[in-house]
Amino acid sequence: MSQVAKQSEQPLRMDPVSSRQPQPSLREIGNVELRGLHAYYGSNHAVRGVSLGFDSGAVTAIIGPSGCGKSTMVRCINRMHEEILGARAEGEVLLDGIDLYDSRIDVVAVRRSVGMVFQKPNPFPTMSVFDNVTSGLRLTGASRGEMDDRGREALVGAGLWEEVKDRLKGPGTGLSGGQQQRLCIARALAVDPEVLLMDEPCSALDPVATLKIEELIGELKERVTIVIVTHNMQQAARVADTTAFMLNGELVEVGATDKLFTNPDDDRTEQYVTGKFG
Amino acid sequence: MSPETRTQYQEELDRLEASGLGGLDLVSAALQRTLEAVEHQDVELAQLVVADDDRIDGRYLEVHQSLITLLATQSPVATDLRLISALLHVLKNVERMGDQCVNICKMIPLSGNEPPADEEMVRLILTMGRQTRTLIGQAKRAFEGRDVEMAQDLVRQDDVVDNLNRECFRLALEIGDDADKREWAMTMLLAARAIERIGDNAVDIGEQVAFVVTGLFREFEDASHPSA
Amino acid sequence: MSAGESHALMLDRGNLKRRNRVNRLVEVFSSIAALLAVAVLVIVVSSVVTKGIGAVSLHFLTTPMGLFGDTSGGISNAIVGTAIIVGIAAAMAIPVGLLVAIYTTEFAPPRIGHAIRFALDLLNGVPTIITGIFVYGLIVESQKHQSGFAGSVALAIIMLPIVARTAQEVLTLVPGTLKEAAHALGIARWRTTVRVTLPTAAGGLLTGALLAVARVAGETAPLILVCSIFGQGVLTEPSQALASIPVFIFQSSESPSPEAHTQAWAAALILIAFVLVLNVVARAFYARSRQRMEG
Repeated sequence: MSQVAKQSEQPLRMDPVSSRQPQPSLREIGNVELRGLHAYYGSNHAVRGVSLGFDSGAVTAIIGPSGCGKSTMVRCINRMHEEILGARAEGEVLLDGIDLYDSRIDVVAVRRSVGMVFQKPNPFPTMSVFDNVTSGLRLTGASRGEMDDRGREALVGAGLWEEVKDRLKGPGTGLSGGQQQRLCIARALAVDPEVLLMDEPCSALDPVATLKIEELIGELKERVTIVIVTHNMQQAARVADTTAFMLNGELVEVGATDKLFTNPDDDRTEQYVTGKFG
Repeated sequence: MSPETRTQYQEELDRLEASGLGGLDLVSAALQRTLEAVEHQDVELAQLVVADDDRIDGRYLEVHQSLITLLATQSPVATDLRLISALLHVLKNVERMGDQCVNICKMIPLSGNEPPADEEMVRLILTMGRQTRTLIGQAKRAFEGRDVEMAQDLVRQDDVVDNLNRECFRLALEIGDDADKREWAMTMLLAARAIERIGDNAVDIGEQVAFVVTGLFREFEDASHPSA
Repeated sequence: MSAGESHALMLDRGNLKRRNRVNRLVEVFSSIAALLAVAVLVIVVSSVVTKGIGAVSLHFLTTPMGLFGDTSGGISNAIVGTAIIVGIAAAMAIPVGLLVAIYTTEFAPPRIGHAIRFALDLLNGVPTIITGIFVYGLIVESQKHQSGFAGSVALAIIMLPIVARTAQEVLTLVPGTLKEAAHALGIARWRTTVRVTLPTAAGGLLTGALLAVARVAGETAPLILVCSIFGQGVLTEPSQALASIPVFIFQSSESPSPEAHTQAWAAALILIAFVLVLNVVARAFYARSRQRMEG
């Protein structure tokens, strides 16, 4: 942490080196920006005026204590929040400059550009492994061949192909927990989204499965912008380029992960990451 | 924000900090005895200091090991992480300081049991030693209080020691042609140099204070960039 | 507290024996009650079997009823009639019941859902004789004659709440996370219902349907009112009155001849066998459906 590089005439000063700079964006799409986002459950003001950007080609983690609004905020990005009775959202959610909350936008189409993986793996029990992966594709009228190709690609992309290639016709629920979650990731990837939202994707998994998925996230970030909600700070530290800390519905601090975990600006962030509360 | 969570961890961290900084007290005591041994050419006292250095080394090992364990088991971040990093550096400084005292004490039989060849040089060295003890005390207080200003002031205090060291050097040059005297002067210079190194270590501890507080590592003063 | 003190607290203070006795007593009584319940079923089934088995034969199953008073025939027309009446009733009630259930669980606002559930429960409680009278007034009187179709309508009304309520229970059991996953993939609501929710609940839905069928197969009161005077031979036209097993049992039991009584028992045996088999199959499907949903 204290490498001394003698270059200037002044006594040296140096910030902790950020070893993980976000890669220059290889893709021009997949940039998400929240502007003044508010979310409500009836009269409960769960997200309070959050403005935050998610860079394409990078992983952003959202951390914060239970009930801070991080899951709610993320569910506003793919407009799943409004599915709940009495829930509503205000503000702007921009995907490559387009406001997803514009009245002309088709909600269903939003969700094909912004995919989601949930806390508990939820493959469809009545479908085979392969049908699960292609379930999102069937409705776009893709041809059989195209579905086969994209399904296979998605399984490869999720690091699952080798493990399931001999039992594609078997039930989706017949896989282990970690495999099921990767199946859900493949299913989400198959529709080729620009953004992938992950809501505590590893909470229900054992440590080995968790690490496999973290590695997968590292590989996937080049093709999809990834936003991961996690209550596991070490996980955020391991996978994310940028980390945002939320408290009571507000965005307290956002910055390079290295900085947030070695020298955060806000005292509340410091208290939370060192475990003084939460 | 309730401090109820992680109390055991916090207590352990506090204990290790106290223990690590306690090493500075051991060093200060060792330095005092070293100065006495130099003043009175007391060989027995010098040997005591050398033997006692084991305590300082033991302290280093024990606290070092516990800090590593804490790193492995508690995943410290932010200020806690910087504190642990700083303590690891401080421990090293403490250990080095202890070794310098030992170096001085090992020289004492060599400089013979006759009365010192130059009273002034001896006085200078004793003054350096006292000033350095002040430095050590200030470094400890600066760390405990996370006082960056006090830590930066260590540079000024250390300058005094450095100037005295230069004085010693000048005196040694003018000591004359007597071979025994010259040998004695050389040995004294080595002692002075060791004390000066102890002072530098104290300044290093001050830099660690700044790191813990600001998250930035800045060399207050480096050998290659003299402030004067 | 010390180990000795806590140990002392655990020692019996005299009510252990009494508690044990009370436990045993309750155990004994509840076992007797359970046995009684099972015994009733056993007695009913065994009476039907012993009293009816004598008349059951291939001839019995394949020959239509004889003229009034003639007991040389069988119940083939009653079997066919029941099949047709119940079949048409099922064709009416099951789709409607399913759709009502889908509507209340997937699409209706909660208050409307509650109201519909309440209405269905009330409908379920309407005595079947009243349903019979209602259908009599509605169809038989206006058409001036009885018909199998009227019987089907009556049975469908009885089946509807059973199908709907069971379907509702099963559909609610489908984990919300599955529907969430489908929505998050950009699948529209109705498609989610058709491709995800229904297939997952399929076993339970089938159960509900089978149970409803088993229940109405033996409904007698409405059929007596709207479909009890039928012609000779095996009739299959629902616009006419058809024979049915429950009506046959009723009419045969009213006859003075002992052979007719035996035939009534035999018909009862056929009916009960059918109902029992349906129940067992239905429960098997339900168990499988539950297993699937729990992943």
